[in-house]
Amino acid sequence: MRLIHHGMKTRTTAHLSMEILIGYILLVGVLLSTILLIIGLAWHWARTGHLRFEYPIVGMNLFEFISLDVRQIVSGPFRPMLIVNLGIAVVMFTPYIRVLASMLYFAWVERNQKYTLFTGFVLTALTYSLFLR
Amino acid sequence: MSFELLFLTSIIAGFVGSMSGMGGGIILIPVLTFLGMDIKHAIAISIVSVIATSSGSASAYVRDRITNLKVGMFLEMFTIIGAWVGAAITLVSGKRPLFVLFGIVLLASWVTLFKQRRESWTPVAHQDRLSQWLELEGSYYDQPMGQTLQYRGGRAYLGGPLMFGAGVIAGLLGIGAGALKVLIHDLVMGLPPKVSTTTSNLIIGVTALSGTSVYLVAGFISPGLAAPVILGVLLGAFIGTRLLVRLTNQTVRHFFLVVLFVLGVEMIVRGIVGV
Repeated sequence: MRLIHHGMKTRTTAHLSMEILIGYILLVGVLLSTILLIIGLAWHWARTGHLRFEYPIVGMNLFEFISLDVRQIVSGPFRPMLIVNLGIAVVMFTPYIRVLASMLYFAWVERNQKYTLFTGFVLTALTYSLFLR
Repeated sequence: MSFELLFLTSIIAGFVGSMSGMGGGIILIPVLTFLGMDIKHAIAISIVSVIATSSGSASAYVRDRITNLKVGMFLEMFTIIGAWVGAAITLVSGKRPLFVLFGIVLLASWVTLFKQRRESWTPVAHQDRLSQWLELEGSYYDQPMGQTLQYRGGRAYLGGPLMFGAGVIAGLLGIGAGALKVLIHDLVMGLPPKVSTTTSNLIIGVTALSGTSVYLVAGFISPGLAAPVILGVLLGAFIGTRLLVRLTNQTVRHFFLVVLFVLGVEMIVRGIVGV
């Protein structure tokens, strides 16, 4: 959802400088993740009276982690744990979105092939490692 | 480990990290292991919090137009691969070498902090062809000087491979390795000090993400433990940056020096004697 949003933002606000675009992507990412983590923890505290979270760690990549979380939010009872998971996913996704936005900016606004290629390489490597199992 | 203890430790780590310019991880990991956490789990949790602090601080510097985006995005290609390799090494490594290596990096940071970085800057006189082709140049408005500073970056052929090494350290030990990145920008590529630190801040985020991806798949990141650490380190760093403007006190610096030295020696001893 955020991914599409930022993609569109790049196109519609082409007059914006890359610095402003990247600066705000990072800022929104940090604020959003902080809010999600605080809500999740506060909700957990309100329900259980403590802040200790104990749930098994399952080895999965970021995309599996997010899709599992979203599926659980949609299907099951809306648990605080899922909000915390979402907060952590946003932390991890923020630099990823930043790289994606930079690549689109270099490609469409600056029309700089060299740097489109460089950021494209970073994006590919990150996508690969985040899909990795 | 209780939530309160984890949160409090992270606030202190974030605070001390931003005040000293060393980042949160370098304090967080030794303290977490001291409190009984497994070093690999401490490294994995720390590196997630490094992403958050990088995004937080970089957002302001990027908007202030001090960060050099092209330098950052060129060097990122090397650090993300390095971090990936580093994290993979940690997964298969024994715990004792990690303690020793962490201690060595702590003491190396101690040396750089002890010697206190010079704020003078020698501009690159002749830009090599690769750096020129890479468009490594820029300008920023320097507030204390009250003028716009033009600069060029050089020796990209050396900076790139060295940044791979910085990435390995970051992924291996779960830290930002910002001090090392700044040194490369500064001494090898000839960037002005402010551009060095702010650009390093930007690079740290994707580097840490690359390392995090390895730890996540390996199952080392527990959201219940990561959440208080992320919030704590962010809060501590926020307080630290606010105070930094007013505190350039020698007493504070001496305090950091003692803390870093004790932590460094402690980690090495634990690595040699056994945990």
